[in-house]
Amino acid sequence: MENVLEINNLSKRFGRIQAVDKLNLTVANGQVFGILGPNGSGKTTTLGMILEVVAPSGGSFQWFTDVKAVEARKNIGSILETPSFYPYLTAVQNLRIAAHIKQCGTERIEPVLAQVGLFDRKDDKFKTYSLGMKQRLSIASALLSDPPVLILDEPTNGLDPQGIAEVRDLIKAIAAQGKTIIMASHLLDEVQKVCTHFCVLRKGIKIHQGSVVDTLGEINRVEVASQDLEKLEKCLGSFPGLESLQKTGNSIFVALKPDFTSTEINDFCFKQGIVLKKLVTQTNSLEKEFLKILKEHD
Amino acid sequence: MIRALKLEWLKIRNYRLFWILIGMYLLALLVIASGGGLFLEYLKRQGVNFNGIDPTIVPIYDFPDIWQNIAYLGSFNKILLAFIVIISVNNDVIYNTMRQNVIDGISKTEFLWSKMLFIVAMAAISTLFLFVAGLVNGSIYSHVWGAGYIFDKTEFLAAYFYDIVVYCTLAFLLSLIVKKAGFIIIALFLYTIMFEPIATAIFQNAPYFKDGIMPEIVQYLPIKSLNSLIPFPFGRYIFMEIDDFVPFKAIISSTVWFVIYLFSIVFILNKRDLK
Repeated sequence: MENVLEINNLSKRFGRIQAVDKLNLTVANGQVFGILGPNGSGKTTTLGMILEVVAPSGGSFQWFTDVKAVEARKNIGSILETPSFYPYLTAVQNLRIAAHIKQCGTERIEPVLAQVGLFDRKDDKFKTYSLGMKQRLSIASALLSDPPVLILDEPTNGLDPQGIAEVRDLIKAIAAQGKTIIMASHLLDEVQKVCTHFCVLRKGIKIHQGSVVDTLGEINRVEVASQDLEKLEKCLGSFPGLESLQKTGNSIFVALKPDFTSTEINDFCFKQGIVLKKLVTQTNSLEKEFLKILKEHD
Repeated sequence: MIRALKLEWLKIRNYRLFWILIGMYLLALLVIASGGGLFLEYLKRQGVNFNGIDPTIVPIYDFPDIWQNIAYLGSFNKILLAFIVIISVNNDVIYNTMRQNVIDGISKTEFLWSKMLFIVAMAAISTLFLFVAGLVNGSIYSHVWGAGYIFDKTEFLAAYFYDIVVYCTLAFLLSLIVKKAGFIIIALFLYTIMFEPIATAIFQNAPYFKDGIMPEIVQYLPIKSLNSLIPFPFGRYIFMEIDDFVPFKAIISSTVWFVIYLFSIVFILNKRDLK
């Protein structure tokens, strides 16, 4: 697969603080790549360097193949931290500036404003916007040139729950078009829901990289309970999809063989005359994995 | 180049403060360029006379002297243009839009170009405005007429243009260094009209300094270099010898400052992290 971004030994030092330390990273075409890390781990600094607003202390990076960084940026939609626009200009006037820089024409301005729900306010000055609306405008700006690559730094910052859900859907929809997304976030839930790959930074050092599916592993554990736990345990002993079984307190954890799901258990128990009062599919959360990874490197 | 200039145009086109300042500037320029006759009328009414000569017959609007006269007076106005530059650069700094511009796909060099072309465009408009004002006033008051007179000494218009460009580049540099626009405006204003002229006067005239090397050095200070581009013209009306040309030394020292400003801007833009 063709690489969208290749980072080699990229470093940044602010005085005594090593913000990013010899970072190596490759993002392939079509990946939704999450950069995770606690506050101050170098996420934004890394994005700043690959967007050439922060001068690296060492190392290099390459966008696409053989493209100058400044030209590459015209094909990258980016949100970096806080939304930055001219407060005395309207949304449309601000996006015209972005379109001029990106050399992409102005005909997509109104559609993208509609896409982020700002169409009604398009002729209002930026300074009259709420934080959530400002964030939406930066998303609109990032989408303006219909770029093949998006860089999103905390894209749901400042949005209300509805806005967060909308942005999440938007990111999924964009990823479904085969676009590459590089996203920095400390909201693990968010990354788990949208990302295909991720890396973890800590104090500027990459301590983990992998695909989300691999890291979370195969999820095939179900928690069940019924009125009579003894009877249920005995009954599950003859369930064909049973891998192993573990009884704890007032429920039983069942590890399933591949191709079996909670549906088969429910069906099986019902036919045996047992009505389940609890049936929960267990998921590994990225949060747990993330904390585990951080702990391993303490 | 047109692209870089258009970027700046998009930023200021709907910016009311810009239009207010540029309007004030052109009005002030018009008053200065055309007000000389009125001023002499005023002197006459006050009973002033120059050794029995009626002030209104002083030929300040005669071609080709008019160019040096109005360029000299008009150049004081450049402070207002510098304010516009300070506000324009400062906006891009405090609103973080310089960073956003870079992220969206321009290089820092292109950013420098767009601001410099903006400065050059304003200087060109101002020079054109002064040229037209000179033509109009000259055609009304001048005692001589003809292309040979009209286009003589127009190098003072070129000096006027260059003066504005270099001065506004200094304003550009200062706005990158200091983030508070109000502070730079006041500091630049005071430095231009008070600090440096007073310091220059002290070093050139005070007994302790005037025989040393200081009077020579102060001629090369930033504002003095620019002001020397257009020598004081009105001495000729009291029969004094004046420099009625653009001094070569002033061109050199202004250019040295111009290069220093530009290199400092490039250095700062490349060195600074836009956070």
